[in-house]
Amino acid sequence: MAFDFDRSILGQVFDETDFPPITKDDILKFAEALGETNPLYTDEEAAAQGPYGGLVAPPTFVTRLRPQKMTPEHMPRFGKVGFDGGRDLESFTPVRPGDVLKMVSTIHDIYEKTGRSGSMYFIVLRNEITNQNGEKVAVVDHRIVQR
Amino acid sequence: MARMIDLHLHSELSDDSRAPVEAYLKWLARKRDERPLDGIVLTEHRQFDSHSDYRQLEDKYGMLILKASEVETEYGHVLVYGVNDDMLKRFDFSNVRLRAQELIDEVAGMGGVAMPCHPGRPTIGLIEHYEHRPPLEGVVGVEALNGGSKKGENERVAELIDSYGYHAFGGSDAHLVSFVGICATEFEKNITNTEELVDALRTGGYRPVDFRVRRTPVQNNA
Repeated sequence: MAFDFDRSILGQVFDETDFPPITKDDILKFAEALGETNPLYTDEEAAAQGPYGGLVAPPTFVTRLRPQKMTPEHMPRFGKVGFDGGRDLESFTPVRPGDVLKMVSTIHDIYEKTGRSGSMYFIVLRNEITNQNGEKVAVVDHRIVQR
Repeated sequence: MARMIDLHLHSELSDDSRAPVEAYLKWLARKRDERPLDGIVLTEHRQFDSHSDYRQLEDKYGMLILKASEVETEYGHVLVYGVNDDMLKRFDFSNVRLRAQELIDEVAGMGGVAMPCHPGRPTIGLIEHYEHRPPLEGVVGVEALNGGSKKGENERVAELIDSYGYHAFGGSDAHLVSFVGICATEFEKNITNTEELVDALRTGGYRPVDFRVRRTPVQNNA
């Protein structure tokens, strides 16, 4: 199959999602589900003495956020089947109780590679998350593999 | 100066690796007794890293750090050493359908050397393609020992080398820190820069070395 697509779709926003305020309970439950023992994420009083001056969410907390549209309406297709190729997460400002987060989603990259089983096409969906102050919280790159 | 060099590994610049270069160097410093390497060559997938400057890390860790590329052709994956601007203008390294014969010929003419890697692998290894395509001209060597190969894939390479008289080299193909240096290449001459590496790879005087730990199977005496 020829690897051909309209490159103008790269960087186009296909979803913007505003989330309700993050609660302390959201953070504590997430930390508990992970089995976290770090007091920065689990103990409000101890976290107040820590580097962030209060409770913060573990960096992977943002992966629980789901955009309204997980994929673009006109997602390119390069094969018959698709599967999850994993996520890369880069954290910036920590998430705190009361934060109001916004996620903006784009098609960041599309590329082809070859492996033992033949050609694979990677679509990288980028989710950029900011808080109510406009600070960058995290960038999550979600890879979808097609073949 | 370096004699023992891992000629094939990927840093976090490759899409499928998460290994920072300094983490590789720290690991090699810890594992010096098991993997006595003097240098590494970063071979990022489908690209050449023109920007990173590793001289400070070379000084800090006493290791030679060179850069090359792993590109994709109709004969499988090929490592390109001695990458320069002429090659980057002539070839789109992100194209997974590069013509292997053109690559080998023209890279040689531009001062580099293109050498097939993991030739025993299905689909992306040279051996499978030699079964239904004519052999490539101008191949000086192949990666006879690849640390990422599955059982049987490295073993298939001996016959290829015997048949075509290729030089043999080794590399870890590490994508994870702990895999760096599990396979490498020992050179007869010291290598201090990319030009010397290309010259040595073309002329010979090197061999693949396997540093993988062989564990003795547990005996069941019951």
